[in-house]
Amino acid sequence: MDVGQLQRQFIDYTASLFREMKKEWRGFLDDQFTQLRKLQDENNPDFVFEVVSLFFVDSEKLVNNMAKALEQSTVEFKQVDAHVHQFKGSSSSIGAHRVKNVCAAFRSFCEQQNIDGSAGGSIPMVE
Amino acid sequence: MEQLSKINNNEKSIQQGFSPSGCGDLISTRKFTALVVDNDQICQIIEKAILESQGVETQFVGSGIDALDLLATGANFDIIIIAWVLPMMNGVETTRQIRAMGIRSKLLAVTACFDERKKKAFLDAGVDEFIEKPLNPRKVASIMREMKND
Repeated sequence: MDVGQLQRQFIDYTASLFREMKKEWRGFLDDQFTQLRKLQDENNPDFVFEVVSLFFVDSEKLVNNMAKALEQSTVEFKQVDAHVHQFKGSSSSIGAHRVKNVCAAFRSFCEQQNIDGSAGGSIPMVE
Repeated sequence: MEQLSKINNNEKSIQQGFSPSGCGDLISTRKFTALVVDNDQICQIIEKAILESQGVETQFVGSGIDALDLLATGANFDIIIIAWVLPMMNGVETTRQIRAMGIRSKLLAVTACFDERKKKAFLDAGVDEFIEKPLNPRKVASIMREMKND
């Protein structure tokens, strides 16, 4: 496969991440991500890579913290909510549209102190 | 010919740092500064990058206490961005204490989750504007335009 083909594949793939936006839950990325890409320039050539990498590391920690909190015999929903709040903030700031929406639904389950909803019983799992 | 002469005169005025209106006012070329108060590293980095893309020199701190300590040293910021959730002292209390110090900077509450109670609490504490995350470049550009015109 030549470089041109790879570049075309990359463009198509990126476009597909935005295209799914119209269906509920399906849009991986939104306009915020587009805006962040514009911040990348010759003075800051790895900006997007660095921020996205940090987001992945941070997300893993937050999801693990949420999972641990939900495994407790007495679930501290305020603690779970605090992790979700942070996750919603970082995901919306980076343009991770689908993650942001899942966090929003998760928060309402926490507010209702709904252990089944929070553990992912009725929300489509984020892949 | 007259139009071209006007354009050339305007350009000359701008180069000299004066408003083309002829009233002799200096165009605002000063550097704006901002402080981001947010304990989330990703939000710190993104908000700083967005502000700096608009020419705003930006620092960040991870707590309200750190913000107050920095401001107490005499550090001056045109814009202060405050998150809701902060360690030890939340964003609303941080706002209250900043205003109690007599600081008149533009205060923007930027938080992940919108609700009316939160908005009211922040506005009552003294923020100028309440924004649901994400803070985006277009919003910052519009705020900067307003500030430069003031």
